[in-house]
Amino acid sequence: MQAFPYLLVPHILSSRNRARRRQRGDLLRAWLFGGVGVMVFVSLLVGAYWLTWQVNDYAELGDYLLRLGLSWLFLTFLSFLAFSGVVTALSTFFLAEDLRLLLTAPVATRRLFHARFLRTVAQSSWMVVMFLAPVLVGVGLARCAGPMFYATALATLVPFVVIPVAAGTAATLLLVNIFPARRARDILMLMGLLFAATIVMLLRFIRPEQLLRVESLPDVTDFFTALQSPITPLLPSFWAGETLFASLQGGRDLLHAGALWTTAAMSVVLLRAANERWYFAGFSRSQEAPKARFTALRVLDRIGRALPLGVVRRNLLIKDLKIFLRDVSQWSQLLLLLALVLVYLYNFRVLDLERIPYMSGVIKNAYAFVNLGMAGFVMATVAVRFVFPGVSAEGRSFWIIRTAPISLRDFLWSKFWTGLVPVFVLTEGLTVVANEFLGIDPFLKAVAAAAIVFMSVALVGLATSLGARYPKFEADNPSQVAGSYGGVAFMIVAVAFIIVTIVLLGWPSSIYLMQQLRRSPFSVAQQMFIGGCFATFAVGSLATG
Amino acid sequence: MIALQRLVKRYGRFTAVDDVSLEVAAGEIHGFLGPNGAGKTTTLRMIAGLLMPDAGTIVVNGHDLAKAPEAAKASLGFIPDRPFIYEKLTAGEFLRFHAGLYGVDGNGIGARVGEMLELFELARWEHELVESFSHGMKQRLVMSAAFLHRPQAVVVDEPMVGLDPRGARLIKNVFRRMASHGVAILMSTHTLEVAQDMCDRISIILKGKIIARGTVDELRALAGGADQHLTEVFLKLTGGGGLQEIDEIV
Repeated sequence: MQAFPYLLVPHILSSRNRARRRQRGDLLRAWLFGGVGVMVFVSLLVGAYWLTWQVNDYAELGDYLLRLGLSWLFLTFLSFLAFSGVVTALSTFFLAEDLRLLLTAPVATRRLFHARFLRTVAQSSWMVVMFLAPVLVGVGLARCAGPMFYATALATLVPFVVIPVAAGTAATLLLVNIFPARRARDILMLMGLLFAATIVMLLRFIRPEQLLRVESLPDVTDFFTALQSPITPLLPSFWAGETLFASLQGGRDLLHAGALWTTAAMSVVLLRAANERWYFAGFSRSQEAPKARFTALRVLDRIGRALPLGVVRRNLLIKDLKIFLRDVSQWSQLLLLLALVLVYLYNFRVLDLERIPYMSGVIKNAYAFVNLGMAGFVMATVAVRFVFPGVSAEGRSFWIIRTAPISLRDFLWSKFWTGLVPVFVLTEGLTVVANEFLGIDPFLKAVAAAAIVFMSVALVGLATSLGARYPKFEADNPSQVAGSYGGVAFMIVAVAFIIVTIVLLGWPSSIYLMQQLRRSPFSVAQQMFIGGCFATFAVGSLATG
Repeated sequence: MIALQRLVKRYGRFTAVDDVSLEVAAGEIHGFLGPNGAGKTTTLRMIAGLLMPDAGTIVVNGHDLAKAPEAAKASLGFIPDRPFIYEKLTAGEFLRFHAGLYGVDGNGIGARVGEMLELFELARWEHELVESFSHGMKQRLVMSAAFLHRPQAVVVDEPMVGLDPRGARLIKNVFRRMASHGVAILMSTHTLEVAQDMCDRISIILKGKIIARGTVDELRALAGGADQHLTEVFLKLTGGGGLQEIDEIV
């Protein structure tokens, strides 16, 4: 029998065939999006380099900040990887269509496990690796690290991603075996809540409010110690941070590197044993048909009738809303998002800004744009996950739309509005509340609130149109659609749009703030510049949407 | 070759397959008939190793599926009603990959793949992507994959769906040839003419239980009409007589 990599052959051959038989315009798009990808990579690298360069000036404190930054960075990704592992394992181990072929073949459970786990790790972690790689290179360059640092970074990342993904896969194996029938949706809902709980725990581990007591601490060592939860040193994120920090200093932290590798190896061995014992039972359960549980949602019919819409648009809107609300796996992820938003706002709530002298005045107001950028990223994430897959979600029933006497404009109209309203409400609420907590200048509050309106139209419109341009009707779930070529393209374009937005709004706003600070009137040129930037943003947003 | 003993499968409180026992000997084509939702596909999926039975045993070519799944699966070919094929592979690549899964490797593989593609009239499509195939072509490709590793037993779920008359005749001929070489074939179908033409014996399943078994003549006798068509026999045994009345009214 062939070794387990043989099971990856169809995916490799499929990728090769896709590349060989590319369609017209594919190459151009690949270059275009590849170019934007390189730009993002370079931006992250330069950003990490600049930040590390800045903290280098603070000698011992700089070292601690860097050490802390690395630990926090890895801690954030740890929870992301675990959650991503749960979702991906559900698809790769239990719901992927090719399992129906592989499980009828004489393939040993262990071989299948190795192949699927490798795929799960790759699918769950590529985004984290793509983000961490330029950041770590930037840090290494700023600290003039030798080749050993980069080798250590590579050797650290591998076990660091394996551990949480193994934990996530184990959670999926457990959940699939607990539920009596195919309840992938319920499982996802539970996972959403679990993830929310993880975030809250993470927040407690970090204890951001401790940051504010920096001046009251007797020395930096105590400051650093105060930021550490008793559990943090037991987490792989801490081990990864310590290993890399030691390497940056030119040394070696074999204890933490050893802890990473042995834990990763042990996780895989234990997971493999659990998989051999419970995999087939779980897979068999996951094949059983779910019981139909649904609510009639007649209120939506009543609301639809009350809206001043044509028959076609009204029925499309009601259909989209009903399908969304009856799909537990869809709206349960909104719970997760809500938890993230609450945590985000909680950060502002616990920040006692008056105690940080440098967080007052202009800088505090400038933070409104960091907040706007954050809201933009939340918007892009929600759009790629919920709006972008809208057209693909029609799946095999898309023939109904195509054969019915309705225009694609009507069809996309419904997708656009069902996406726009929740995205706008969520991000507008997030921005207004966060700016309120920060005590931002009223003018900037108004600018941010208005910007969200235009950004929502632009990003939701972009997600709807790119989702229609790059549909993936055969996808198992919306996450797969979001992670497709079109989804990645949307994210890249969305990030570029957010950056342009921040520049177009931040630059004139900084002029406004400066003039306010100096208590001097605006010149005509300044007024024209400010108006021009705002108008360019508004027109650009509407054009994008 | 295929032996089921007291097979049970429950979905919650619903028993989809209830104490089913069945034997298909080498060289036999055994029809597995029943109305929609009777438990045919569930039974076949358990034999293929996709579902875990709640009770009972499945033995393929002398290997207990629960105890030696790889050995049992190695001697089985499975043709599902909704087959999965990697759409971005060519027919040749798919068959070669399939052969590798069953441990069929080495120099002879190219010739064997060519032989199967020739047999199922797909040779000129060997280097075409599966995504460009019609439903019937995909069905024939799955069949060529199922017979590629020379299985001793074959389980087929609805083989004739989507096939044109030429394709249907081809499949019938292939099944007969395979059976004459000693391959045991268990075939679920709704096309009763096919069952009548091809099957040595037939089992009829209703609400998870086998309610009748025998040759076409034995089933006719059981239904009380010696010269009846299998459709009438099937409807009488499964309680579908009402359909006939509707037909008459219409």
